[in-house]
Amino acid sequence: MGVPLWMYLTVAAALFSIGMYGVLARRNAVAVLMGIELMLNAVNLNLVAFWRYLTPFNMSGQAFAAFVLVVAAAEVAVGLAIIIAVYRNRQSVEVEDVDMLKG
Amino acid sequence: MGNSNLFGLDVLSILVLAPAFGALLVVALPRNPWLGRILSLAIALLIGALAVIVFFSYDRTNPGMQFTSQTQWFALLGSDWSVGIDGISAAMVLLTGILVPLAILISWEIEDRVNVHLALILFFETGLMGVFVAQDLMIFFLFYELSLVPIYFLIDQWGGKNRKYAATKFMIYSIGGTLGMLLATQLIGWTAGTFNIKELTVFWPQFDGTGGTPGIFLGIDVQTVKALAFVGFFIAFCIKVPVFPFHTWLPDAHGEAPTAGSMLLAGVMLKLGAYGFIRLVVPLFPDVWIADIGLLGLNITWAGLFAFLAMLGIVLGAFAAFAQTDIKRLVAYSSVNHMGFVALGIAVMATVYGQAYATGSSEMMKDGIIAANGAVMQMFNHGLSSAAMFLLAGAIYHKTHTRDLREYGGLWVKAPIYGGIFIFTSMASLGLPGLNGFVSEFLVVRGAFPVFTWLTIFSMVGLLFTGAYILKGVRAVLHGPFNMKWRDTDVEIELREFIAIAPLMILILITGIFPNWILYVINNSVTLMMQGLS
Amino acid sequence: MVNFNDVNYLPWLIPLGPLLAFAIIALLTNRSRLVPTTSHEYGGHHPDYDGMLVPVVAPWSRVLSIVVGMSGVTAAWLMSLVVFFQGISTSKLGLDEKVFESSRNWLAMGADAFRIGILVDPLTVVMLFMVPLAVMCIFIYSIGYMAHDPRQARFFALISLFAGAMLTLVVADNLLLLFVGWEVMGVCSYLLIGFWYEKKSAYRAAIKAFTTTRVADVIMLLGIVYLHSMTGTLSFRDILYNEEVLTMLAGTPALIVGSWGISAAGLIGVFLIIGTIGKSAQFPLHVWLPDAMEGPTPVSAMIHAAAMVSAGIYAIIRMYPLFEAGGYPHSGEFTLPLLLMAVVGAFTALFAATIALTQNDVKKVLAYSTISQLGFMMAALGIGAYIAAFFHLITHAFFKALLFMASGSVIHAMEHGEHHLHEHHDEEHSDHAHDHAHDDHEAHDSHDAHDHHETVGEPIDRDAVDEPVEPHFDPQDMRNMGGLIRNIPVTAWTFIIGGISLAGFPLLTAGFWSKDEILADAWYVWSETSSVVHIFVFVMLVMAAFLTAFYTARQLSMTFLGAHRTEEASHAGLGGSRSIISITMQLPLVILAFFAIVAGFVGVPPDFPIFGSIFAPDGNPFFNFVKYSLLTEMQPPKPPFNAIPVLASFAVALGGLYLGWRMYGRTPLKAGEPDPMTKILSPSVYKLLQNKYYIDELYVAIFVKPSKWFAKNVVVVFVDKGIIDGTLHLIARVFTWIGDLFKVLNLWLIDGVGDGIPQGIIKFGAWFRRIQTGQVQQYLLLVLVAVLLVGLIFAVSAGFLQAAG
Repeated sequence: MGVPLWMYLTVAAALFSIGMYGVLARRNAVAVLMGIELMLNAVNLNLVAFWRYLTPFNMSGQAFAAFVLVVAAAEVAVGLAIIIAVYRNRQSVEVEDVDMLKG
Repeated sequence: MGNSNLFGLDVLSILVLAPAFGALLVVALPRNPWLGRILSLAIALLIGALAVIVFFSYDRTNPGMQFTSQTQWFALLGSDWSVGIDGISAAMVLLTGILVPLAILISWEIEDRVNVHLALILFFETGLMGVFVAQDLMIFFLFYELSLVPIYFLIDQWGGKNRKYAATKFMIYSIGGTLGMLLATQLIGWTAGTFNIKELTVFWPQFDGTGGTPGIFLGIDVQTVKALAFVGFFIAFCIKVPVFPFHTWLPDAHGEAPTAGSMLLAGVMLKLGAYGFIRLVVPLFPDVWIADIGLLGLNITWAGLFAFLAMLGIVLGAFAAFAQTDIKRLVAYSSVNHMGFVALGIAVMATVYGQAYATGSSEMMKDGIIAANGAVMQMFNHGLSSAAMFLLAGAIYHKTHTRDLREYGGLWVKAPIYGGIFIFTSMASLGLPGLNGFVSEFLVVRGAFPVFTWLTIFSMVGLLFTGAYILKGVRAVLHGPFNMKWRDTDVEIELREFIAIAPLMILILITGIFPNWILYVINNSVTLMMQGLS
Repeated sequence: MVNFNDVNYLPWLIPLGPLLAFAIIALLTNRSRLVPTTSHEYGGHHPDYDGMLVPVVAPWSRVLSIVVGMSGVTAAWLMSLVVFFQGISTSKLGLDEKVFESSRNWLAMGADAFRIGILVDPLTVVMLFMVPLAVMCIFIYSIGYMAHDPRQARFFALISLFAGAMLTLVVADNLLLLFVGWEVMGVCSYLLIGFWYEKKSAYRAAIKAFTTTRVADVIMLLGIVYLHSMTGTLSFRDILYNEEVLTMLAGTPALIVGSWGISAAGLIGVFLIIGTIGKSAQFPLHVWLPDAMEGPTPVSAMIHAAAMVSAGIYAIIRMYPLFEAGGYPHSGEFTLPLLLMAVVGAFTALFAATIALTQNDVKKVLAYSTISQLGFMMAALGIGAYIAAFFHLITHAFFKALLFMASGSVIHAMEHGEHHLHEHHDEEHSDHAHDHAHDDHEAHDSHDAHDHHETVGEPIDRDAVDEPVEPHFDPQDMRNMGGLIRNIPVTAWTFIIGGISLAGFPLLTAGFWSKDEILADAWYVWSETSSVVHIFVFVMLVMAAFLTAFYTARQLSMTFLGAHRTEEASHAGLGGSRSIISITMQLPLVILAFFAIVAGFVGVPPDFPIFGSIFAPDGNPFFNFVKYSLLTEMQPPKPPFNAIPVLASFAVALGGLYLGWRMYGRTPLKAGEPDPMTKILSPSVYKLLQNKYYIDELYVAIFVKPSKWFAKNVVVVFVDKGIIDGTLHLIARVFTWIGDLFKVLNLWLIDGVGDGIPQGIIKFGAWFRRIQTGQVQQYLLLVLVAVLLVGLIFAVSAGFLQAAG
């Protein structure tokens, strides 16, 4: 038991923050998508770490992580499809250019 | 109380309700105009036949209420569905039954929304019949108001150029008039605890503030309340008759209404007012009629005032008719003139009835009965002749599309049959002896002369000008050089119109030569009513 | 059961014949087809009718209508004769129990009923002799006279109705039924005077006749209702042959004017007499009668002789006891109605005679002579010469019917001459396509022929006086005639017989005997009681009789004597003595001429020298027959023979005739020569008379125009539209204004709340929606902020909880 729990958490938090920064600050939609992936993986890291340290006999943490992976894959697929569609229409993948839902 | 039914049926309720069901049926039909026309005519003819049967089954030797029927209707108010007829109502039911099919036949010429139009006429018949057979004040009021609705739409939807104005004026006049009547109805009915007209005519005239449902008068003197209730009824019915100066809705409404509407308006609807006077106002307020009006220090009774207004109606109505250039307005004003005689007769009747009520007898009893006979007769006769006049005015309008008398001229050349009928009907309207109008005018004048001598003499001026405007009408339509504008127009009466007017002409002639066929029935009920007091 | 063989019931059927004929013609035989017409059908008067589709009566239906009409009147005549012979063979037939009568209930009036029925007393019997006979003659005459009229069937229908109404009036047993016949006749006269209704003058005359008589009729109706309200009956027998009732009526003060000493009988009498003044065309309601000449001539005969105007006098004679109630004129005690009659009658007799002096229209002269003769009767009734008046009524009916129909023949002959001329004219100018189809009414509307062209479609209300229009040829104008005795001798001789009868040619003619009796009565009572009224009537009537003789001579001379004054007159004729027109138009003249002579001999006074012993050995037969229609004490005394009135009659009749012949016959008028009357009377008086004292113009100015103005401007515009509708519109406007006020209030208060909230929400939304920028990253940022905030809140609250806990 060398590495303590807080280290994992710290790494995950850093990862989440980087991902969030990417989502909020990057203008390229693909980069935003990548940021989201980072955030999801940070969550996965937390889930796995908490499972291992707190409830090693209950598999729910692992199961959640597996679900998140599946969802992330689907999301990337859909997200990329949308981005391609937008690109085809607008010749752009800049997030700021896509404001059709403005009220 | 006479026979209560015919063929084991409550015939009067059928007479009232059947037209309404008929109307529903006609509206519900597929939009085929001919189906609607024939069906509505058949319904109206059936109802008319029933009305004729009712009239002739009426036991004339027993002049009280007959065919009576009573069912609980509005228990909270003490109002019942109560119907029945005496000789006066029987004459009016007969008139309604006869005129509606003829009006429907005339309405066949309508091309626009046929079924609705015909259904409205049938619905109108329900309102009219309801008033004439009602023996309950609430029912009376209900049908009295109900009859406004169809005729409003008939004028408003199918009328002439100025129809919106005419319909609105008519509606506001009528509704405004009946407000007071509604209040008075509630007041009387609530005080008496019943709306039964027969019971009310006993209860209300002798009511002195004690007995009945208390607390309604807010501490006001009973006589004042009675006078106010009287005024409520008085104005409502004056507008309907119409008595001068409440008559100005009439030329507009009659002038603008479609032919069938004018026929029924003049033929039957005006009689609602006169009938209201005879059935309600005379027996309910015998004491008020002969009381001074106490206005402007004038020393005249309500009946005297009414007779005065009647005289004005006769005279000014005739003058106004004389000045018209529109054929339908001319005929409309002639109604003011003729209904003035009804009002005069009612004024005499009210005076005599009031005196007889107050003192137990009246030395003018015979005059009163004759005048009342005349008034009811005149209602019936005016129903026939004014309907016929409107029919003829409508017939010529239908062909020439103008109502301007100056546009006709010499039409007798091309329309000999129409001309003959027109003269016949005009003469009936003029009061030619041998035709119906004379009988009733004679009776009214005879009854009124000893009671209101001066007013009768003045009203002779009206009778003179009746001649003048009738001749003016005949002259403008038939006489004079033929107006070449109509050279290629067929102005002769159509077969359908002829069929519609033939029954009227027959009745006009028969009533003129042998008036007793209907007068006998009327007379017995009038006598019972007038002499039932002592 | 009613048995019509019984003379008590037979009179019901008398009016029924013509009335049924009317109904049958009107409903069945007057059939027409729609065919393109020609102006020819209408006598060439309506060139614009050419080719128009007009219902035209088929020839068979015309013939059938004549047959039906004739059968109706013949039936009435035969039945009347039966009643007549039954009547004169019943001794002392009177209003007592000997009368023939029957009645039935008609109107229910309370417990009892008003009965109508028939009654035959001596008056009725005599009328039943005269009326159907005269009517028959008129019918026969109409066959020829109306032969070319396209509406002949209608004419026969109307004239049948007219006859039926007159007969109803004659057999009526009560005043109301009499009034029924009276008014129906009024309508028939209206329709017949306006028979050629395209003509302005015709329809105006018709309206004038009806309206003028109606003025009187409505007043008469008042009299009738007053009488009924006093006595409870209108039956002649119950009132007139009942002293109690008469005394009661004479003793009761009248309504309204009772304080002036007028009895109920007096007021009722005045009302009824006003009715007669209208119907019998007495001053001041005489204006309709001369205009009534616009109708076809048979109608004029009907109105002037057989029916209408006689009906007025007959009604007075019928109701006479009522007028006399409370007075006794034979001793100079006059009641108000009697005075009224005497004054009006005497005045009218003279007044109308003066107008007749200057008229040039052959029918107008006769019209004014009718008015004048009716004035004789009125005056006679006023002074109590009841039987003399009735006698004059009968003789007058015969000779006046004769005169009218003869004048119609003259006019017809003149028109014939005119057409004859035109035919020749046309042969010379064949391109001149004048329609020479012959028809009567060309004559009548000649003086307003141009009306037909100008009035198409124009507004109607032009006032009643015709502007004089240049006549092209007037076949009724006596100045165009002259010498006609050579062209139409039968007509001429019968005309002359009628004329001298009218003038009262002594001893021979009926007119003499009846007029003489009136004068004798007046003279006798004056000489007995020196009653002013009687001598006034005597003087007036003598003067009127003189004028009558004079204008009759003038008319006869101008028409028949001398040379033909125009080409038309020289070609005048009735189309050969054997033509149907000639026969039907002259046969009635001969019949009537016979009666115009012999009718007088039934009323010869018994003490008249020579004649009395021949014709009245048992007393004056007419007098003795008729007097039972009065109560015994009311019967007038028989004046003994007195030479003065007889000599006066002789003098005025012969003097007038001679003077007239001297002025117009001995030196006949040349064509275009002015009437010598102009010089005698001075042009201004002549003009005054010729314009009938300008009474028509006066009435137009004071009655017709003001009532039109009143009707239009006062009643309709001022009262109805101004005051009543004005008030209503004012009320409507006030309510509309109040409504508007409420509307403003609504905007502030109710709309302020009701609409304010939604408005606020909308505004907020519009502002708030700006937060939705469409920028995903912004949204996410907001989510982040929100999460942080929520986290912060949890953290802080947890801290608080811990601190508190």
